[in-house]
Amino acid sequence: MIRADRVGKTFFLTQAKEGRFSSLRTLFSREKREVKAVEDVSFSIEEGEFVGYIGPNGAGKSTTIKMLSGILHPTEGEIVVGGYSPQQDRARVASQIGVVFGQRTQLWWDLPVHDSFELLQAMYKIDRQSYVRAMEMYKELLDLHDFLDTPVRKLSLGQRMRADLAAALLHNPPILFLDEPTIGLDVVAKTRIRAFLKEVNRTQKKTILLTTHDMDDIEQLCSRIIVINHGKKMVDTSIQELRNRIGLASMIQIDYHKPPKLPEAYANEGVERIELAENELTIYYDKGKIPSPRILSEVAQWGEPLDIRMKEPGIEEIIKRLYR
Amino acid sequence: MLALYRKLLVASIRAQMQYKLNFITSAATTGMIMVLDFLILSAILYRFHDVSGWNIYEVGLLYGISSVAVSVYRFFAPEINDFEKYVIHGELDQLLIRPVSPLLLLLTRNLDLSRIGGMVQGISVLILSIAGLYAQGKEIGLLLLFTPVAIVSGGVIYFSIALTTAALGFWTHQVKDLQTFTIYAPANASNYPISLYPGWLKWMFYTVLPIAFMNYVPMLTLLGKAESWYLPLLTPVVAALALVLSLRFWAYGIRHYHSTGS
Amino acid sequence: MVYWRIIRKSYRRNLQYRLSHLVNNLASSIFGLVFIAIWAGVLQGKQVHGPYDLQTMGQYIAVCQSVLWMTTFLSPGLTIPVGVRSGAVSLDLIKPVHYLWYMLCQEFGRILYNACYRSLPIGLLLGLAVGFHFPSSFYTCLLFVLSLLLGTFIGLLLFYLTGLASFWTTEIRWVHYILLSLVFGLGGQMIPLDLLPGVMGKIAPYLPFSCMIYYPVMTFLELAGPEALIVQGSWALVLTGIALAVTTLARRKVEIQGG
Repeated sequence: MIRADRVGKTFFLTQAKEGRFSSLRTLFSREKREVKAVEDVSFSIEEGEFVGYIGPNGAGKSTTIKMLSGILHPTEGEIVVGGYSPQQDRARVASQIGVVFGQRTQLWWDLPVHDSFELLQAMYKIDRQSYVRAMEMYKELLDLHDFLDTPVRKLSLGQRMRADLAAALLHNPPILFLDEPTIGLDVVAKTRIRAFLKEVNRTQKKTILLTTHDMDDIEQLCSRIIVINHGKKMVDTSIQELRNRIGLASMIQIDYHKPPKLPEAYANEGVERIELAENELTIYYDKGKIPSPRILSEVAQWGEPLDIRMKEPGIEEIIKRLYR
Repeated sequence: MLALYRKLLVASIRAQMQYKLNFITSAATTGMIMVLDFLILSAILYRFHDVSGWNIYEVGLLYGISSVAVSVYRFFAPEINDFEKYVIHGELDQLLIRPVSPLLLLLTRNLDLSRIGGMVQGISVLILSIAGLYAQGKEIGLLLLFTPVAIVSGGVIYFSIALTTAALGFWTHQVKDLQTFTIYAPANASNYPISLYPGWLKWMFYTVLPIAFMNYVPMLTLLGKAESWYLPLLTPVVAALALVLSLRFWAYGIRHYHSTGS
Repeated sequence: MVYWRIIRKSYRRNLQYRLSHLVNNLASSIFGLVFIAIWAGVLQGKQVHGPYDLQTMGQYIAVCQSVLWMTTFLSPGLTIPVGVRSGAVSLDLIKPVHYLWYMLCQEFGRILYNACYRSLPIGLLLGLAVGFHFPSSFYTCLLFVLSLLLGTFIGLLLFYLTGLASFWTTEIRWVHYILLSLVFGLGGQMIPLDLLPGVMGKIAPYLPFSCMIYYPVMTFLELAGPEALIVQGSWALVLTGIALAVTTLARRKVEIQGG
């Protein structure tokens, strides 16, 4: 469905001058700095795959998504999306893909939600029958009933994201690009969006490429992840394999009243590592193998906990571990 | 394509109508501001009778056409006038994921309804001027026929200039200062006969900023100030030419954006 | 002195934009050239009305375009609406300096900057087109400086008052536009006010808008004497009183309703 072949994108930034008349000299300067935002990236994504595209800020994620959706043209290499080149056939590719930017809405800000859908129907030339069918389905799946008549500017962030997702899927594209779809949402809203994405991926065989900073998104949704850093592809593998390679440990940190008494030779499948520093105990474990409540009930027996903190591994953590 | 444009246009007007009070005050103030502007012009002509041979009604004709044309342009294309933000903040990206031309989408966003005030003012000035010329015993049949052509052509000429200026933003990322030069100053200058201006300015108004063809050039013939019969025909021709060239340049700019981003 | 420091700070802050402004000055001058050309067309082959021969009229327009940058092109509402929207205004109101003078000083720094980097270059550029006029005596210079300062002060107060409107209404954009067009129309930017016909010509010189453009320009061209200062001084006093009173109202509004 999606193929990137040795894709590279180089930007030329004009070197800013300093000192007297700096802005004028910058304007006429021919000196340029080359920035390789994406370098020699290749991958191929098959129909129905759910791929997480992750990396730290500025790694080249957005640049890649922009190239895949036809906003930017690659400097090198070749891209095929849904059978067409986004570079030569932007309009054709556009009807093959649905795009959601988590940061900004693509709906008509001052109009009721269903007006946006009607405009998209005209824009994507969706026939009446398919439109009605799609609307019925997404109204149900995303529970849009309550706010179809509300102007977009009055929606909560969670509602807006649901409406945005429906808008991206209305023309029934086989491919979805999601750029941080859960950013800024609360836990309930995130759960709901994830359930929906899982559903469309499973039942409609949509091919989905997702960027996120939330490891829960990756763990619960993606069958495969591609890690990019400094514009280069570092890892392209299944989530299980990545876990085997570097571990994807969640962390629980407990402050005890007094130094806790650990059982001797504590071993449990799923617990990776335990660190003890005076009153503070840190446990690294795999949530997939041992549920957090089990660990919590166990650590309570070892002493009197004062404070408990839980942390999920972040993208930065994964990158760090990959380099180790 | 036209059906889609109409649909988006209606949606945009409906969106604006959510702020009715804002629409009414803004349209009223825009109209009032422009009335005051015209009052000063008439005060000058009242005191001095004419500007290098053009009397108040003749200048009113120039003023009215330019006024309505600029309002028409500002009404339909506020996002072209405000294009800088699309390049700087990358808002253009969202338009580029759609299967239709980004220009079509831009032209249906945030229609500036307050410009209706400007149109009403301009049309009133036109009516007064044409009535005045009629009272002076001038033949006005052709004028009445030609005025709509001049308004549409003028709107197209302003739009073409603005589109070209906006497309320059793909390279310079800053067009506000340039707009003073390419849009606001010419709009002001075209209220009066172009013959007034120093050579190099005149040259610009006949070539790269072809506002002379919107009102001054055709009126030379229609008001009997020049012998050549064909001058009014130049108006739509120049407008069409300007539009084609600016659309080409715009497309070139979009291609540049594809390869550089914001 | 704290007010002097506010002025200097704001002057410095504006300095970083000077290059793009110098380029913009060329574009602004086009407006001046257009007006000058229009007057040339109007006056061509006619008897001279009062003191306004072709050259004097050109100089009138040139000085106008230059003075505008000190008295008229001020920040909309002196940026007060920005502070009201962000809530920063309540902090400004409890500062140990009076809000009115604080806002005025801040803008005055920008005006000093405009004087150096906008008024002066534009004046020089247009002066090249119409010929320079130099005040003939120290006395005229003194009158001009006083008139210009009073004009700036009155402009500041009018913009301050439109800004204060944002304590009561969210949108002052249209109030700002109306003020601007009144200044342009009745302040003498396009035509010396004594040339306006009928009632307009009788009333306009006594409105505050004339204080911002007409009187400073006429003083510079030695077409108006010290009597201009009387009109300007009176308006300065009246508007100061109004500004102080409305500030008190605004302060009370914030204290009661919390902005």
